[in-house]
Amino acid sequence: MSDKKLKKKGNVKIDIERCKGCWYCVNYCPTKVLMVSDELNSKGYHPPKFIENPEENKVCIACHLCELYCPDFAIFVEELK
Amino acid sequence: MSLMEDLRYGVEDLLRTERLPHVWCPGCGIGITLNAFLRAVLRRKIDPNKLVVVSGIGCTGRAAGYVNVDSFHTTHGRAIPFAIGIKFARPELTVVVFSGDGDLFAIGGNHFVNAARRNHSILVIAVNNFTYGMTGGQHGPTTPTGAYTTTTPYGNPDRPFNIPHLAISLGAPYVARWTTYHVNQLQNSIYKALGMKGFRLIEVISQCPTVYGRRNSMRTPLSMMEYFEKNSIVKNDASFEEMELKYNEKIVVGEFRVAKDIPTYEERYDEVIRRAKNAD
Amino acid sequence: MKSGYYFWSGDIAAAEGAIAAGCRFYAGYPITPSSEIAERMALRLPQIGGKFIQMEDEIGSIAAIIGASWTGERAMTATSGPGISLMNENIGLAIMMEAPIVVVNAMRGDPSTGLPTLIGQGDLMQARYGSHGSYEIIVLYPNSIQETFDLMMDAFNMAEKYRVPVMYLIDALLAHMFERVYVPPEEEIERKIIRRKVPNKVPSRPFEPDDDLVPPMPLIGQGHKIHATGLTHDERGYPNLTPKAQEKLVRRLNEKIIKHEREIWKVEEYKTEDADKIIVSFGGESRAVRNAVNSARKNGKKVGMLRLITLWPFPHEFIKKYTADFYVAELNYGQMYHKVREYADGNNVKLIAKMGGEIHTPNEILKEIGGV
Repeated sequence: MSDKKLKKKGNVKIDIERCKGCWYCVNYCPTKVLMVSDELNSKGYHPPKFIENPEENKVCIACHLCELYCPDFAIFVEELK
Repeated sequence: MSLMEDLRYGVEDLLRTERLPHVWCPGCGIGITLNAFLRAVLRRKIDPNKLVVVSGIGCTGRAAGYVNVDSFHTTHGRAIPFAIGIKFARPELTVVVFSGDGDLFAIGGNHFVNAARRNHSILVIAVNNFTYGMTGGQHGPTTPTGAYTTTTPYGNPDRPFNIPHLAISLGAPYVARWTTYHVNQLQNSIYKALGMKGFRLIEVISQCPTVYGRRNSMRTPLSMMEYFEKNSIVKNDASFEEMELKYNEKIVVGEFRVAKDIPTYEERYDEVIRRAKNAD
Repeated sequence: MKSGYYFWSGDIAAAEGAIAAGCRFYAGYPITPSSEIAERMALRLPQIGGKFIQMEDEIGSIAAIIGASWTGERAMTATSGPGISLMNENIGLAIMMEAPIVVVNAMRGDPSTGLPTLIGQGDLMQARYGSHGSYEIIVLYPNSIQETFDLMMDAFNMAEKYRVPVMYLIDALLAHMFERVYVPPEEEIERKIIRRKVPNKVPSRPFEPDDDLVPPMPLIGQGHKIHATGLTHDERGYPNLTPKAQEKLVRRLNEKIIKHEREIWKVEEYKTEDADKIIVSFGGESRAVRNAVNSARKNGKKVGMLRLITLWPFPHEFIKKYTADFYVAELNYGQMYHKVREYADGNNVKLIAKMGGEIHTPNEILKEIGGV
């Protein structure tokens, strides 16, 4: 991780019930703000959860890659105004 | 809203969201491909009322059931001729065939080759997951030699189609291949193809962790995606040999043919009508 | 086509009849003895802004016309028995999607490649039951070149009215035989055209029926967001793979035809009023039967002919109403014979069979019914 502070640009919203737990989003998030949740959705999948840690430069930079990789149309990235 | 947010909400409008979650397995690449397609449609500003999606049978065949436009889920292998009927009758419509490798190249192979030869103005998005997923993972016309499936328990003795090369040999004006790892290139490729005319083919190498990956040492969605990530090479001027897909080897992707201004079947038939009316 | 008299083959009359009935889209694959229908369509459709396409096979041909039908076109294909065998899966799709289409089968000697240039009537059960599943279909069969032209209007009208494929049987005899045909003035023809019902709101529910059990049909490109599938579906068109949805849909698909069978039935009752012997016949074969009936009548025998123009749904009331000995003259080893027996209600039924290649001679028929 570089020393340069990343600027937070967005928030990741997850439609938990559409998620099937492939975790592409967790894997391909460049700033690692998504992780596998311990909770289960009603179909029994572990959806991701959105947890930032600015200290470690883990903030959403609104690259939308998670949206593009999600096969289940379950992720929305809301950009900060 | 930003452009990317517009696209995300636009995708919702283009989906029959009341039918989600869809039938595809965890990690299936069809959803990724459908997402890329819908974003390309939005970027092209295609009137959704003038867009028609036609699918055949199989996992990818279910795509027509999720797009919120005129959409047809036809019989196995017949998506292309069904789409041709629509396009030929109403050339002003944008007609897209969204179907799988078994549907398009095995049972529907004859339609594919003849439609490409005649240069009907349709876009074919061919999702190639190397297997018949819906029926439980049998080998198909694109299964790599040596791969294990439920009907090739000792390894596949067949040779798979070289799909882009086949399409090029038939004169298709736009031919590209991407994997579902290439989410941006795939979307841009569909965007570009939607702006062209004639028979356009985009092969999308896609993962089926459930029935293909598990038998070929890629048990999880991520391991299949990792295979695409680590083994893909972009090469637009790839040769026949380079385009061939070998079991667990490199995947050459790219835009293999971009040819503009080749008259389409529909345009040539306008000339037929002109001649027939003059001869009358 | 200008009003007047023409000297046409059955194939040409079928093509011209279809054009007169509003057909503007044809997709087909050549096969004897139907090929001249395609040739005529290739010549004529572009003259009037219609579309003709020769596809790579019969499967592609029927798929293309189902697609075209959803755009609102009156669409047709033509083939012979081997081609129908290939089309049958998509006949089922048209049934399930409720797409109006007309499929011509110029019947030849059978089975398999059989007798390509000679008459057969072996596809009567195939026309009814060829595709898999429980369904009703409409099958019409003319017996002259004039009727081949005229009846096309009914074929298209019934397809559009009931949203169902109509199988239009002719045979090698009719296909290649030339006769005089009268084409009425255009206005007179136009008046007969029945167009399909379309929904009055957007978006619609493409499979929600009216009281007649037929849903109005939305057209592609008008914002209806149609979804049509061969899967069992609900009234929105969405797949619904449950016994309940299956019961509702498949019952309606059958009942929408059965409910209207009296409107669909067309038969010719020729000298049957007082007949004690009735020969059931259809298509090219019925021309010999008519001759035999006339000979028998000259000799004072009470013989008549019941000519089925609608073969399916089977016009059973026309069998049930008579008390007579029935003879079924057909060019196969017994097909409609079994259907006549089902409704003969104690009357004798005898099969007069010939395997095809030629129709019976009138004398052969007279011999079978006990001589003149």
